[in-house]
Amino acid sequence: MIAIPYLTALTTFFSYVLLFVFGQIRDSFRKITDWYSSNNLQGYAPICLGLEDFYIRRLYLRIQDCFGRPISSAPDAWFDVVERYSNDNNKTLIRTSKISRCLNLGSYNYLGFAASDEYCTPRVIESMKKYSPSTCSSRVDAGTTSLHEELEKYVANFVGKPAAIVFGMGYVTNSAVLPVLMGKGGLIISDSLNHNSIVNGARGSGATVRVFQHNTPSHLEEVLRERIAEGQPRTHRPWKKIIVIVEGIYSMEGELCKLPDIIAICKKYKAYTYLDEAHSIGAVGKTGRGVCELLGVDPVDVDIMMGTFTKSFGSCGGYIAGSKELIQYLKYTCPAHLYATSISPPAAEQIISAIKVILGEDGTSRGAQKLARIQENSNFFRSELQKMGFEVLGDNDSPVMPIMLYNPAKIPAFSRECLKQNVAVVTVAFPATPLLLARARICLSASHTKEDLIQALEVISQVGDLVGIKYFPAEPKKQQEEEKMLKLE
Amino acid sequence: MANLYVKAAPPVDLNRNTEWFTYPGVWTTYILILFFAWLLVLSIFGCSPGMAWTIVNLAHFAVTYHFFHWKKGTPFADDQGIYNALTWWEQIDNGKQLTRNRKFLTVVPVVLYLIASHTTDYQHPMLFLNTLAAIVLVIAKFPNMHKVRIFGINADK
Repeated sequence: MIAIPYLTALTTFFSYVLLFVFGQIRDSFRKITDWYSSNNLQGYAPICLGLEDFYIRRLYLRIQDCFGRPISSAPDAWFDVVERYSNDNNKTLIRTSKISRCLNLGSYNYLGFAASDEYCTPRVIESMKKYSPSTCSSRVDAGTTSLHEELEKYVANFVGKPAAIVFGMGYVTNSAVLPVLMGKGGLIISDSLNHNSIVNGARGSGATVRVFQHNTPSHLEEVLRERIAEGQPRTHRPWKKIIVIVEGIYSMEGELCKLPDIIAICKKYKAYTYLDEAHSIGAVGKTGRGVCELLGVDPVDVDIMMGTFTKSFGSCGGYIAGSKELIQYLKYTCPAHLYATSISPPAAEQIISAIKVILGEDGTSRGAQKLARIQENSNFFRSELQKMGFEVLGDNDSPVMPIMLYNPAKIPAFSRECLKQNVAVVTVAFPATPLLLARARICLSASHTKEDLIQALEVISQVGDLVGIKYFPAEPKKQQEEEKMLKLE
Repeated sequence: MANLYVKAAPPVDLNRNTEWFTYPGVWTTYILILFFAWLLVLSIFGCSPGMAWTIVNLAHFAVTYHFFHWKKGTPFADDQGIYNALTWWEQIDNGKQLTRNRKFLTVVPVVLYLIASHTTDYQHPMLFLNTLAAIVLVIAKFPNMHKVRIFGINADK
């Protein structure tokens, strides 16, 4: 539940109306000037209707310099951002050769494996020399190396399932596996804030898709009951399969999924569960095994567990873990396994080494240290931001914290002001989030030191005052001091 | 005013073109925009208050008819054209008729009509135009007009 100050809601709507009106006026002027220019595409249909990319042309391009900033170093805790300038009001951006060293609050680098690591990197370089950067083949032809077999065993072990299958790309894992598991006559019930890969996969499967209110188990039960009672559309026969898709940590909210309740409801109504742990695997839980460990859910109760290696393992690719029969079936039918190139061997070695570090099998306790540090960092940062009066979403222990901005003008203001002070944040606006709820999303990492976090907090506090996003009253310093006095006594 | 908070639950509406209408504060913004438009017209044209309400009513008719009942589809390409045959009015609330939002939007042109005709003392050229605006807008919002294209006007090719 997000609490918006009423005045902010009114001003946000008004700002969008204003932007929309200006966009329409500019479009009508453009139509008039284009009347006179010749159209040499007689007989061809236009590639896109003028209406379809209105949002991109008139709203997104105005603040284009806040998105897609190029970087020129590894995305560690500090990285180099390339400066860009524009001569035509952000329609085109030109790169300069100047770079600025900024604090990285945007990369999904939860355990700090994104930069060169003392255990992983030498092994990755060795495997690249031995196996070459690409297998140049799909898994079924000549693309399965011993690394791939080892990786699948390690992943299955790490997650707590009997078997696993690994793909070269995380997005493709969802969008190529869902059409294979579900078909016409099946029912997919997915959370309303699920990632685009799940939406794409569900649409491509041909099954009926229904949505339940975000993270609300009672609404899920309502939707399940209604749908089971009605049956398939038009014929009203019983559904062939029902699957409920949820995510471990929702990347735009930073919230954990209410997994125990949802699993209980799915068992009651005999629906399969699919858990997408893209952001939670490796980042939460005492030994990093994800949301199941954190919330005390037995992995046996979740039918299909999916995850990606991009966030906590510093690599690329995705996996599906489940029962041996399921993985065997996927190996026979999934197009991403049969036709797509297999995951690159150095990337596979990076994942194996990262898992070994997390589990402590490399002989040091660096894995446990990293996990403790990411938890500490997240809790510290979140509580400090909330004390300053920002509206921060997300549960405790989640390394993703969105700060609400709301007004469309505050998005570029916050982003540019922070960049001026050498803090790089990622801001998210309309199509990815609901219209009113634009936010700046901060992703912490185990490689952020306490000094980095304190510097970031100072900068964010200053910029927050300038831009005006401290929507909640800040905890007064006097009260904090009084609390300290009471504790001493 | 700064301490008055409202809860915003993420909506279940998947159509991003219309889900912004389900948030708290939309109705108030709509009414405030109409009110400020009236003040703006009064200050620019310096006419009588009744004339200003008539101008606001007619401008409201033109704008809402164009954007709610004429323009079809969504301003984003990644909806892949699923809504390309539906106007905004047919898209809101997923096509469900007689929801609170639809009832509110049907009442607004009627109230504007009453204010405009009252403040112009029901005089002639304004009364005709105001009545025409109100009738067209209200008929366009009837549940029986869902997906109806009279004489094929604005139908797909």
